[in-house]
Amino acid sequence: MADTIDLLETIGSDATLRHASAGELGDMLERAQASAALKAAVASGDSAMLSTEFGNKANQVPESVQSPAHEEEEEEEEGNEPAPEK
Amino acid sequence: MTMPISTPPNEARRGSLACVGLGMTLGSHLTPLARSHIEQADVVFAGLSDAIVEVWLGRMHPDVRSLQPYYAEGKSRLKTYRQWVGLMMAEVRAGKRVCGVFYGHPGIFAWSPHKAIEAARAEGFQAHMEPGISAEDCLYADLGIDPGRYGCQHFEASQLLFYRRRIENTGYLVLWQVGLVGDRSLGRFRTGPAYRQVLVDLLAEDYPLDHEVLIYRGATLPIQPPRIRRIALRDLPQVALTAEETVVLPPAEPMRLNQAILDRLDALDRLEAHAKM
Repeated sequence: MADTIDLLETIGSDATLRHASAGELGDMLERAQASAALKAAVASGDSAMLSTEFGNKANQVPESVQSPAHEEEEEEEEGNEPAPEK
Repeated sequence: MTMPISTPPNEARRGSLACVGLGMTLGSHLTPLARSHIEQADVVFAGLSDAIVEVWLGRMHPDVRSLQPYYAEGKSRLKTYRQWVGLMMAEVRAGKRVCGVFYGHPGIFAWSPHKAIEAARAEGFQAHMEPGISAEDCLYADLGIDPGRYGCQHFEASQLLFYRRRIENTGYLVLWQVGLVGDRSLGRFRTGPAYRQVLVDLLAEDYPLDHEVLIYRGATLPIQPPRIRRIALRDLPQVALTAEETVVLPPAEPMRLNQAILDRLDALDRLEAHAKM
């Protein structure tokens, strides 16, 4: 079975593949012996199906820190936070 | 074709920091220089929006440390970001070449890279930011918007609520992180329809409620198309919205000529014409 990350990198950097239809991409993935999760994600148009292959981890995205006067309040508490478990 | 060039010896082994952008889409946007920063670092910290993209980054360096575990529901994000700065700076102070890798552009809607670079420079370390293709860049391409055509304002949505800002409705208005608009605790990852209704009420001062609004999300995986939804402004509180989705309001009114300024420019043109005669 082909490595999913390698295949994603190939698709992402290939002008034809990056904008190929689901059908065209499906054929290419079939030939490349892609994982079932990757083929299902492409066929269904639901990339969440690929997450199963990687443990269904959901990353947080916000980097917003908009809150009036909040930054100054937090300054005093710096360094009190225990490290999270990894 | 690139030629192999031997890197100069790192005599002092002083710590350094590079914050680089990975771009938005896996495999499509990473610049050669950003990749080089990653590969040449001693330790890499990852602040990425997609867990699969994080796996991809892990292929580029043996010591990639995710910053994701420091997020927690109910915990102020500011505290999280201060921890990120502390983690990166600890390695810089230990003499390591540190690379902070962030999705998109490391300096756009990203508090910690700016602060870490500031802290490193204040302590005499070399620190550098390397731009990446941002969500904003993708938005222009995917929605076919040229910010130079009518002008374009960008606001973090909560800022628009917390502070008195001037909205210019003859240009585009781009609102970021609408999914958590109005969160003053910094500890929530989304807020509900009632908070978005406050935003809609504010926007209704400058836009009709039936004004078309675009909800946009760029692709993070190369098997995804961008997601673009079109709704009426009045429906914004009711639609499902995630933190990574961006709300775009196209112009509501035509640009109006500033006749007073145009008259002044006419007068200047006439003066210059006389001077040349």
